[in-house]
Amino acid sequence: MIALSNGLRLFGLILPFLCPQIGWTENLHKEHEHTAQLLTNLLNAGRVVVEQNQTLINDPSRGDKEFTPEVFERLLREEFFQQTHIDLKHPPSSLPSLAKELLAALLLASKEVVGDAQFVINQRGIGYKNFIPATFGSQTARKFSNRSHVTIKQTTLNPRNLKNTPDPYEEAVLNRLARQTAVTAPTVEWVDGGRLLRTVMPIYYSDDCLTCHGSPKGILDISGYPREGAQAGDLAGAISIQIPVDHR
Amino acid sequence: MQSSNPIARMIGWSDDKMRVHWRHRIILGLALLLLQGCGLLYDAVTMVHPLTQDELSAICARGRLRVGISVEPFRPFIFPAMYTDEGIRVTGLDIELIREVADALTVHCGKQTPIIPTLHVTRFPDLFIKMNEGQLDLFVSSVSGTVPGTRPTGLWFSLPYFYRDGVAAIIQKPEVAERVWQQLQKQNGKLDTLAAVREGFAGLTVAVQKGRSSQLYAEANLKEVRLVICDSLPASIEAKDLNIDVILTNQSILEYVTKRVWQDWRLLTQLDGTPMSLTHEDLSIVTSDDHRRLQWLLNNLLFRLEESNRLKQMRWRWVDAHYAPTRRATSEGLPLEITQVPQHYDQGQCRLAERQ
Repeated sequence: MIALSNGLRLFGLILPFLCPQIGWTENLHKEHEHTAQLLTNLLNAGRVVVEQNQTLINDPSRGDKEFTPEVFERLLREEFFQQTHIDLKHPPSSLPSLAKELLAALLLASKEVVGDAQFVINQRGIGYKNFIPATFGSQTARKFSNRSHVTIKQTTLNPRNLKNTPDPYEEAVLNRLARQTAVTAPTVEWVDGGRLLRTVMPIYYSDDCLTCHGSPKGILDISGYPREGAQAGDLAGAISIQIPVDHR
Repeated sequence: MQSSNPIARMIGWSDDKMRVHWRHRIILGLALLLLQGCGLLYDAVTMVHPLTQDELSAICARGRLRVGISVEPFRPFIFPAMYTDEGIRVTGLDIELIREVADALTVHCGKQTPIIPTLHVTRFPDLFIKMNEGQLDLFVSSVSGTVPGTRPTGLWFSLPYFYRDGVAAIIQKPEVAERVWQQLQKQNGKLDTLAAVREGFAGLTVAVQKGRSSQLYAEANLKEVRLVICDSLPASIEAKDLNIDVILTNQSILEYVTKRVWQDWRLLTQLDGTPMSLTHEDLSIVTSDDHRRLQWLLNNLLFRLEESNRLKQMRWRWVDAHYAPTRRATSEGLPLEITQVPQHYDQGQCRLAERQ
């Protein structure tokens, strides 16, 4: 009798912890989804900063461009703030700890990529150096993914760099996106029995992209790849993110 | 005080002075014995485990080939460093050759893991210094060992990997070509390019690159020109204030850059329109004079590449074929040893030469 009453007492103690489990899982999922969205924003912001400074980077008449990792970091924080209203220097307390940790890691990887490229960027007498949003994005994503269980990848249906070839999941999403009109929200899905978050954020061609990816189709662009014959607004590719539910 | 020792007494030394004297003699004797012992010990150690390795064994043990290349781009031999999806990469004919050397070394070392070439990028004149200081195993930078003044002591030049190159000239003003052609016409078919160039260039401003064969050629043969020495070819192109009439450098480089990079410059030609060569040079790999085993490996490799037509194929791929260097940098370029790279590449300046 005593054993039964002790058992009931114990069950009573555990119950409040068991019931909110469903809510807790939901919160965890939301936290991961929010984090994935912010990581996409940050990588995209880095690409935007590189694109905005493309003329400076490609200026053959200047040696030291003063486009240092520190300058880049400042511009990146500003661009990210514009997109999300989050100040990375003073992240709000409401920001999930997962997001804080991963955003800091991605910021560091982005800075390191700009640091590594300093020799190329500061070459005088050389115009086009192939330090463009795509190569910046590929390197940053790779650097970040190598240090984390979270994977970031730039992908597209007909990649110039075969390392960016979509996996079957990404291919299916990209094919679907290519048939739709432009969307601004990512595709978000929990796969593998809810153990892996996958998000795919589409990127669309802007006018600036068409110098290399536009018409005439098949004619080589400045980097030696055949132009895709794309038009502004066409699907260019996507930023794909995978976060395991237990990412550590 | 008188010494008890008769010899000391004879030479007038005290006992103390005599003791010090003998102590010194004993120490000297022991030191001589030890020195001999050290020699025996050293011999024994070197017989069991050689203290110095030959250069090929050192490369095999290291797993890396330390290759020097010039930071000043010599297209199509070395293109400017490019940023790719894989990071910074350098490409060009010289890089393809370096890959061949690394492959040959991998086979020589009998390793499953390949010998990795690490590129030490430095200013052209510093390549010779670094090679002599033992910081490099070899360097490849479109240099020839047959130009007087280009073979510093202690360095060895391989069999050629690129034939029939030489100094040539590019110009912008048509009247420069006309001046040279007038001189050629005066020769009535007895072709003497040097004489025509000497007369045709007299009084003109001629730019050459520091330390390259073009500088040695101009200093030796073109006494009547206003000579400008530049740190690099791009610097000669950009130096507008010096009113450069003629730029001299390797013909293969000039043919490439006038077609694809600086199309407002053109090659100076003979009367029949063929490019005017001022010298004949074959380009070689450079290594240390002491690296006998590496020298044989290089020459054997180059002999094989020539007999299998690989050298011709490489020449066609880089000089004649249409291609995008950026794409080749991505697919077949080599990474740079970033720590060896100058802070940022600056093509440098041009200045008037001080002539005797």
